[in-house]
Amino acid sequence: MSDVEHDPGVEAELNEVGRALYASFPQRSRNPVKALDARAMELASQDAELRAALFRFVDVTPACRSLDDLARHLSGYLNEVDAKPPPLEVAMRMAGTKPGRTALGAAAAGGVRHMAHRFIVGDSPRKALGILRELWEGGAASTVDLLGEATVTEAEADRYAARCAEALDTIAEAAPRWPERPQLEADSLGPLPRANLSVKVSALTPHIRPDAPALGRDDAARRMRPLLRKARDLGAHLHIDMESLDALETTMDLIFELLDEDEFREGPSAGLVLQAYLRESPNQLDSILAWARQSPRKPPLVVRLVKGAYWDHEIVEARQHGWETPVFEVKAECDRNYEQLTRRLLDARPAVRVAIASHNLRSISHAIAYNRHSGGEDRDLELQVLRGLGDELGYALAAQGQRVRVYCPVGDLVAGMAYLVRRLLENTSNESFLHEQAMGVPLEELLAAP
Amino acid sequence: MRPFANEPTLELRRAAARESLVAAMRDLDPQLPLAVPILVGRDRGAHEGFESTDPGEPDRVVATAGRATEADAAAAVEAAAAAFPAWRDIGARARADVLVGAAEILRSRRLELAALQVRECAKPWGEADGDVCEAIDFLEYYAREAVRLEHGPDLLQVPGERNSMRYEPRGVCAVIAPWNFPLAIPTGMTSAALAAGNSVVLKPAEQSPASALALVDALRDAGAPPGAISLLPGFGEVGAALVRDPRVHVIAFTGSSAVGLEIVRSSADTPEGQGHVKRVVAEMGGKNAVIVDSDADLDDAVPAIIRSAFVYAGQKCSAASRVLAHEGVADALLERLSGAVNVLIVGQADDFAIDVPPVIERDAQERVRRYAELAASDGRVVAQQPDIPANGWFCAPTLVTDLPPDSAVLRDEIFGPVLAVERVRSIAEACDALERSPFALTGGLFSRNPDTVAEVTRRTPVGNLYVNRHITGAMVGRQPFGGNRRSGIGSKAGGPDYLLQFVEPRVVTENTMRHGLVVE
Repeated sequence: MSDVEHDPGVEAELNEVGRALYASFPQRSRNPVKALDARAMELASQDAELRAALFRFVDVTPACRSLDDLARHLSGYLNEVDAKPPPLEVAMRMAGTKPGRTALGAAAAGGVRHMAHRFIVGDSPRKALGILRELWEGGAASTVDLLGEATVTEAEADRYAARCAEALDTIAEAAPRWPERPQLEADSLGPLPRANLSVKVSALTPHIRPDAPALGRDDAARRMRPLLRKARDLGAHLHIDMESLDALETTMDLIFELLDEDEFREGPSAGLVLQAYLRESPNQLDSILAWARQSPRKPPLVVRLVKGAYWDHEIVEARQHGWETPVFEVKAECDRNYEQLTRRLLDARPAVRVAIASHNLRSISHAIAYNRHSGGEDRDLELQVLRGLGDELGYALAAQGQRVRVYCPVGDLVAGMAYLVRRLLENTSNESFLHEQAMGVPLEELLAAP
Repeated sequence: MRPFANEPTLELRRAAARESLVAAMRDLDPQLPLAVPILVGRDRGAHEGFESTDPGEPDRVVATAGRATEADAAAAVEAAAAAFPAWRDIGARARADVLVGAAEILRSRRLELAALQVRECAKPWGEADGDVCEAIDFLEYYAREAVRLEHGPDLLQVPGERNSMRYEPRGVCAVIAPWNFPLAIPTGMTSAALAAGNSVVLKPAEQSPASALALVDALRDAGAPPGAISLLPGFGEVGAALVRDPRVHVIAFTGSSAVGLEIVRSSADTPEGQGHVKRVVAEMGGKNAVIVDSDADLDDAVPAIIRSAFVYAGQKCSAASRVLAHEGVADALLERLSGAVNVLIVGQADDFAIDVPPVIERDAQERVRRYAELAASDGRVVAQQPDIPANGWFCAPTLVTDLPPDSAVLRDEIFGPVLAVERVRSIAEACDALERSPFALTGGLFSRNPDTVAEVTRRTPVGNLYVNRHITGAMVGRQPFGGNRRSGIGSKAGGPDYLLQFVEPRVVTENTMRHGLVVE
């Protein structure tokens, strides 16, 4: 059934779902601050030079020693933009004097901080608890992702593992006090943990080596096992994130190997990520499903289907080495693959639980429609959005009674910059769904088959 | 010819690519030791005189080679001189076809040749594969460059005269090559000389004769006349004899400063009967520094510095051996670098899961140890990976700081896995420090301020400055490579003006007016 593209029944249902979701979007004008950010994003997506200058500035902000230093960086970047919109000409003039730079630096730092707070829910798990609870009360579950610097030493890997353990403790301690939300707490396979943490393998070891995956796998496994034990003992879910292709083999091998160990047979609930932008993702799904079907593990593996956040990185890496590009370069191909993987995943239940992580209205509506069409219940499909980018969509999904989980980065500004820049790139790319939506592309087009 | 493009390296993040290399090693090992004969013109000489061994397992003999004598050198030069006119006269396009053919042969043997470097020079897999690709790149690139150069530049023309300029090959070129890029560097120098129309006598490093044989075989199999490319495996005395020979026109050398300067001195002699002044192209040492500004992203800087300093155990002339860190980030940088040195894995080059292989030979190991001891007595060793194999020429990767400015550790090229960190108060101070060094090969800068990048670009004399990345791994056609000051004379390998070192320009002006009649 999964190879039937654009089944008319599914398409009809999909259109209905999409329209209903669209109608549930909160009105932009109700939130002036968000509208302001959206305008900055629009500006950035119109001019590549300006976009580069602004992102470089966002990236360097936490490393600047003073407001003066910050303003010097900003004017340095803007200097490389040929056609400057009038507000930036003003900024350049301000950068010419010391008091001007202080004022400019303060304004710019405020802007970046404001933007970072949109995407990052707090600088520690404890400080994030308020927002996690608000989300829960509003009908959305969460998964916490701890932002951090790159791991290049043992001490950094140990520190990240300790932060993960602490986050599990903190969230698992607070979560039982949240009010009941039956829609978020169980699917037809059984209960779903309230506490949910996403971890990165590359942060658990300084030994990620694309040409020697066993090295990083074994070192990360030493730190992952105690986290799995803790998650099991606390009844929390542990989700292993996927990063660039360089860490893929390490990550997949690690997950399959650890989850097959006897002590994790009963738990915890755990999951992995499938990146639809990878040309090899259908084969990866084969191995994931083969593993899931033979595994004696009790909690079903949760597969989070994403588009993938390292698109530019993968393309550049491949071009510099003369390698075949590992990702789909045409958006429609990627979108079609996303839908195929969605159908295969939904068909594969109950061997897996399915989480569709996307901001693309068509992809989401497709998942909901296909699930219904093939006899599934809405609660058997999880939909994930990113904090800061998918907030409106998350509200709309929750309002439509869907099971939503919000991916919530936690960490300080320095640690968050790489994440923030990646998200900004994604959000202002011309092919981004959010960009199209902001540009007023008609709903029919947004829902059209890729 | 299709436009030049770099030969893609193997995608070693794919298991299948790694397995192909492991299989190549399985095939190579039973063939060891390889036999490397002396090849002078059509003559095939002895192949037993000395051995090259595996630096990681010194008992393993990788190749036995004939030990060329001064008489062999004289015979090879004679054969080269005899072959020169015909090779010159076939034209750039025909020579380019030979080079491109040789590239194709290397391409078909690339797994085997990478495995050979792993054994002969303890080059880790990724580096060895990169070396073979670079050799292919040189052949393809210089083939095209020679065709381009053959036309000569356009000159100003006025009525009644016809001006033309062209480049002619110089004659016999002696290529004296190092072991650290056992295929790429001999190929670069040899193929440039050949492409431009010179004939070549190649003296490879005594540590890596087998890799050099692969090059000579490929060139001859692709159609280079035997006299145009001879192979003299051997030691310093053969190189010295070539440099002294009055029939040699060009000496292309890559190696240590001491030998390079000796070549420059010796080749300045113009004995009676030598009708030319020798041209020397010498690529020598470096003492390469990376400047880290206070706004640097240490997530990028730390792995890039570690890679620059410790990949191939620091045995690249481009390797980083100094870090000049702005005091705003110096403590954090030192702490992270120190942790990163502590997790380096020292081990055999044929193991994908190592970071630092052994150094080339016992003398090198002793030299690195001496500098590591000096570092400990002059300054403060902040990290030293103690877990190193006992057998083989392994050295502990070492990170040192707090050295006095006159310490030899900050001044000498160590050519091993030793990295020194110095603290500076400003980027200007870092530039001043570089200004004082006689070397100017590569340099690095980590900064996110465009003004700082511009300032360091203006002030550093290095031949290759890398901004916000590692400072090794120059690519043919993308990063023409070579140093200034005492790091080298000659020009950028893999760049658009390299072939000019191997030719002499000639201009012809013809009066086209006869009794007022202009013949156009």
